[in-house]
Amino acid sequence: MWRSSASFILDKHLNNKPISITHSIDSPPPPSDSMADENPNPNPISAYYETRAAHHGIVTSEWLEQAQAAVRRYPDHDCSVSPVSGRPFSVIEEFNSWRQQPDLAEAVAAIRAFAAVIRASEATTMMELEIELKKASDTLKAWDTTSISLTAGCDLFMRYVTRTSALEFEDFNSAKSRVLGRAEKFGVISCKARRIIAILSQDFMFDGCTILVHGFSRVVFEILKTSAQNKKLFRVLCTEGRPDKTGVLLAKELAKLDIPVKLLIDSAVAYSMDEVDMVFVGADGVVESGGIINMMGTYQIALVAHSMNKPVYVAAESYKFARLYPLDQKDLEPALRPNDFNVPVPPKVEVERSARDYTPPQYLTLLFTDLGVLTPSVVSDELIQLYL
Amino acid sequence: MPDVQSMVAEFVNKLRKRKIEGSQATAKCTVELLRSVISHQRVPHANQAAALIDAVKAVGQQLVAANPVELAVGNVVRRVLHIIREEDLSLTTAAMAGLDLLDASDDDDIDNCKGIGYPAMSAAVVAAAARSTLRPPSLQTLLEGTPESATVPYTSSSGADSESKSKSADKSSLTRKLKHDVIEGVNQLIQEISGCHEQIAEQAIEHIHQNEVILTLGSSRTVLEFLCAAKEKKRSFRVFVAEGAPRYQGHLLAKELVARGLQTTVITDSAVFAMISRVNMVIIGAHAVMANGGVIGPVGVNMAALAAKKHAVPFVVLAGSHKLCPLYPHNPEVLLNELRSPSELLDFGEFSDCLDFGAGSGSLQVVNPTFDYVPPNLVSLFITDTGGHNPSYMYRLIADYYSADDLVM
Repeated sequence: MWRSSASFILDKHLNNKPISITHSIDSPPPPSDSMADENPNPNPISAYYETRAAHHGIVTSEWLEQAQAAVRRYPDHDCSVSPVSGRPFSVIEEFNSWRQQPDLAEAVAAIRAFAAVIRASEATTMMELEIELKKASDTLKAWDTTSISLTAGCDLFMRYVTRTSALEFEDFNSAKSRVLGRAEKFGVISCKARRIIAILSQDFMFDGCTILVHGFSRVVFEILKTSAQNKKLFRVLCTEGRPDKTGVLLAKELAKLDIPVKLLIDSAVAYSMDEVDMVFVGADGVVESGGIINMMGTYQIALVAHSMNKPVYVAAESYKFARLYPLDQKDLEPALRPNDFNVPVPPKVEVERSARDYTPPQYLTLLFTDLGVLTPSVVSDELIQLYL
Repeated sequence: MPDVQSMVAEFVNKLRKRKIEGSQATAKCTVELLRSVISHQRVPHANQAAALIDAVKAVGQQLVAANPVELAVGNVVRRVLHIIREEDLSLTTAAMAGLDLLDASDDDDIDNCKGIGYPAMSAAVVAAAARSTLRPPSLQTLLEGTPESATVPYTSSSGADSESKSKSADKSSLTRKLKHDVIEGVNQLIQEISGCHEQIAEQAIEHIHQNEVILTLGSSRTVLEFLCAAKEKKRSFRVFVAEGAPRYQGHLLAKELVARGLQTTVITDSAVFAMISRVNMVIIGAHAVMANGGVIGPVGVNMAALAAKKHAVPFVVLAGSHKLCPLYPHNPEVLLNELRSPSELLDFGEFSDCLDFGAGSGSLQVVNPTFDYVPPNLVSLFITDTGGHNPSYMYRLIADYYSADDLVM
């Protein structure tokens, strides 16, 4: 980057100017935005990664400050989503309450929020209901632009509602209850998806294999748990996963299941790669090219694995397929998170704070999804079938 | 019935003793056996498809267990199961849409059937739901609902059928229709398997150009027909045949090619890397093609594929549709390989002192694998009877030919 463009000089000029943040009017700005005015970097902290950090129980001092500041500034900010005004119903609140549960995926929380919208709605035709849901979906998406599975989940549900309303039903109530039932069942679908993925991947783990894992994916954890329950003999190498320290958490959980675990620092991946038989990662989102967006470091590991001919397997539920086609790393919405270096960093020094990277499909071997074991080229096919 | 059992037992025996050579012959015999099983199978009046599927699955499991390395057996069993499901589905949706398929029935009775016990969903919804159970799971159907909701109208329609007046005539004609359709489908499958060589050879002219040098390994009837078809269309080219030790089937292929007038050169397997820079294209016949696009071929093809990749020579694989396997190779070197007798390498009597385990001194081991696995990134093109495809496209063909429920037998 330093050789190809002198853009860093331009960026520095831009950063010194005062910034104004624009947000959509009917959504409460995320708490971190309150800090954005004083922050030289215009991009807010990604709410998605904040939640993941919260799930992992990692609380940095910076994040805590921001949360406290937010509570002080916006004690009860409501946003009304339903067309009937005067009712204090907030999709964002619903979504947040579901999202805090560590076992629930983002998309599931979003769809649960939609279920609440349907329950609270007073629409009398499918079209009205659809419009309400569209508004709720746009609100959620605008609130956290960085979360891919949230966007994908919202889109999937909206497609389903559109398709359902296009069919002829005798009366509106049965249609509404059908859609509501599906929305509430989606949590079950998601859990079932994880179990299907775990079953599909059992054949690929042979006795005596060494698996490298990066990041704390609940799907990958389910896979390892199922293998341990099936009395397979294998060993896991966890990367430390700075700065979230996901590796330590995963190691703790795996140790509870009596799986032999070894922790590596992130830089030791190439060093240990020759004793690894396969790499397992989860995904925050699966993009149209068949590549994945996952925690920072996944691309690095995939490159090393590819150069040493080790297979890289991705475990992702199908509702994470998103209609994005990033051409390089900077093509994504910037999702930042605070990087705690444990030592004070002088303010003149820039810190790369992106939370995720994009791994192109040529470095991935297979995708394990609830639709079956897929090669990366199948993803675009599925998306075309759904959206076009 | 006992006649069918004895036929099945005989075939299982033949498979176990490896008496049938070649995937095409095995596939054809398997399909013909399954056709007899289906025609002899007595089906109940309700849920006939399930009975047929169970019968075929039971026989299929025995056959696959007899020769697990011959993937064509499992492939055609799954094809037949897919045919049964498809025919059943088309019959049910046609009946539900109110089309007058049955030869002897009154229109009044059909209307009565539709009225009795029908759930409060339009026929289009039900048909769509039923169709979705046949296709592999996809993003579209993720939220649609579980297959139970699709089978409810299923049984209710057959229940409604039984309540109609002309019930016996309807039922028996429905039974005959399903079996008849299935057997027709199976006959089509047999035609397809027998005709795969011609279909593939038709495409030869597009791929082989004037004055080219082709490399092949071992002996494959598909490759032979392919090359001869190009020769007949007046293309002149040369063929290098790697002999394919230890069976030396390359020698037979070379003889055949010379008999048809092609200029042929025989080389040893070890000379492949040396000659690859002078070759324009490598053409191989596959034993099986896996769902990820990987190829199981005669031993030595992996080496040829690696050499071709290094010198940027296109590596073309010919495979009939009965060779497409919906399974993924988890551990292909071990699971799908067969070790043949070491006598093909060493004559009896040679090295007998080293091979004698009783003596205790020095144990010489001889490994004679039959197959080789080529990963998908080394293959440039697959030519099947439906045309030329990318390795990353194979999953599509597999989704078309097989149902997701039949993958585990």
